[in-house]
Amino acid sequence: MSVFKRTVKNEFWYVLFLMPGFCLFALALLVPLGMGIRYSFTDWDGVSQSLRYIGWGNYKNALTDDDLWMALINTFKYAIILTVVVNVLSLLFALLLDSYLKFRNVFRTVFFLPSVISIVLSGFIWSYNYSTGLPKLFSFFGFDNVTSPLGNPSYALFGVIVIAVWQGIGAPMIIYIAGLQGIPQEIVESAKIDGAGTSKTLWHIVLPLLAPSFTINMVLTLTGALKVFDLVFVTTHGGPAFATEVMSTYIYSSSFASYKGGYGMALSMIFFVVLVVVTLIQLSVFRRREVEV
Amino acid sequence: MRKVRHISVFILVSALAIVFLFPFYVAVLMAFKSPQETYDAFYALPAKLDLANFAHAWDTSHYPTAFMNSLIITVVAIGLIVTISAMAGYSIARRNKKFYQMFFVLFLAGMMVPFQITMLPIYKLGKTLHMIDTHWGIILIYGGAGIQMGVLFYTGFIRAISREIEEAATIDGCSTPGIFFRIILPLLKPVTATVLVLNALYIWNDFLLPLLFLQDASYRTIPLQQYFFFGQYSSDLNLAFAYAVMGMVPIIVFFLFMQKYIIKGIAAGAVKG
Repeated sequence: MSVFKRTVKNEFWYVLFLMPGFCLFALALLVPLGMGIRYSFTDWDGVSQSLRYIGWGNYKNALTDDDLWMALINTFKYAIILTVVVNVLSLLFALLLDSYLKFRNVFRTVFFLPSVISIVLSGFIWSYNYSTGLPKLFSFFGFDNVTSPLGNPSYALFGVIVIAVWQGIGAPMIIYIAGLQGIPQEIVESAKIDGAGTSKTLWHIVLPLLAPSFTINMVLTLTGALKVFDLVFVTTHGGPAFATEVMSTYIYSSSFASYKGGYGMALSMIFFVVLVVVTLIQLSVFRRREVEV
Repeated sequence: MRKVRHISVFILVSALAIVFLFPFYVAVLMAFKSPQETYDAFYALPAKLDLANFAHAWDTSHYPTAFMNSLIITVVAIGLIVTISAMAGYSIARRNKKFYQMFFVLFLAGMMVPFQITMLPIYKLGKTLHMIDTHWGIILIYGGAGIQMGVLFYTGFIRAISREIEEAATIDGCSTPGIFFRIILPLLKPVTATVLVLNALYIWNDFLLPLLFLQDASYRTIPLQQYFFFGQYSSDLNLAFAYAVMGMVPIIVFFLFMQKYIIKGIAAGAVKG
């Protein structure tokens, strides 16, 4: 049997096993990405058949587009605040739930519950709570004239962040709990015997050993938050006065509402590069920190 | 002293739990009350258990259609993801050649490309291939998206399985597909549970892809149907909330039954990442 024939015989099934997955991957990702790169160099409106290549024109326009910079700033403001708040709170919740506590599985379920409903639902419930529920609650305590933060350009982004925190605690909390349970009990006990109090044990033993969970949660929340679309789309649609317009919603409105398909794709590619750079920086920073610990 | 601390922690956690449950409370409250009752006393419990809002929402919302669309798309897409990821993961785990590892890296790199940046071309592609307003179109896209994480899980899991059984089976004359379907596939249950629950939550609740792909009302999934329903009935909020509660019941029931696997799955996902 020739070498070629044997290779074909050996590899045939393995290559065949790989193909269905690869074909769908190409359909869902490679082809659209390739099309997107191509469109970003054209003046395509997103609907018609005609398009003209305009070189780097879209990218040049993007650099001087104030709306793009506003959307980028909003996106990072949203993502950074959300990442910090979610990680602090979910770590706190994990520590509370990991301690001696009655009904802790019930509490874990409660804190995870908001994560399982769709963002359309949470956006709807919270919009109503902001506009009617909370003002009624506050007026009960004597604070009148409380209005929805989503209607005020200065607070709208924070209003959205609160919803995202409510819905985003669940998964990081589970990851921190798993991390806490992975810490060998002997180390904690020996620190206690050596005279370390609760806060010292926490600060010098538990938290450093949680570094891997910390890394993964920071990366997951930050990259997830940078891509935010649904929540902004269903609560504020980017408004009021551009106050909550983030990259994904700006790309959406450029591509589908303003009929600037080519420009929308240039924005997408810029955003893609930003996402890749942020992810790489994060991974290198946190992985290095972990090694030192 | 110790007891005081336990009690104060318990009170603190209970207070946080109440804050977290508060929006659910308001939603359920609204769903059971009439507009008049809501106006009279916002936070009071309803006078009687009235299902009128639910009955009305059921009649006007095409809830069964949306539920079936969500169910078909989620179940078939997950079946597809599990099958193609396990097969690809098997090839990558068992062939230590550059050719296969290249695919592994390619799938992993794909995780960096979210739908948010390819939404317009994916919509255009869907239109060209007549995938819009079909079940199979959106299912295939979910398959291509799900394989990226799926391959990561399956490759890692299969690498840890000893090859001895497979070698014995080969000597006995078992073919490669035979080995995969008869020997490997039954061993993959734990990792399949992880892939299953993570994708189930994501696909069931997804909004962006249905927004692009399912434009005809008869194909809408629950989240999309809800989005339009809320817009349409923004003046009759009690009705809208009845529909909101109907929409969250299936996924909350799923969560409560599968909680063990979901929590394991998330923890496992973290270790992989």
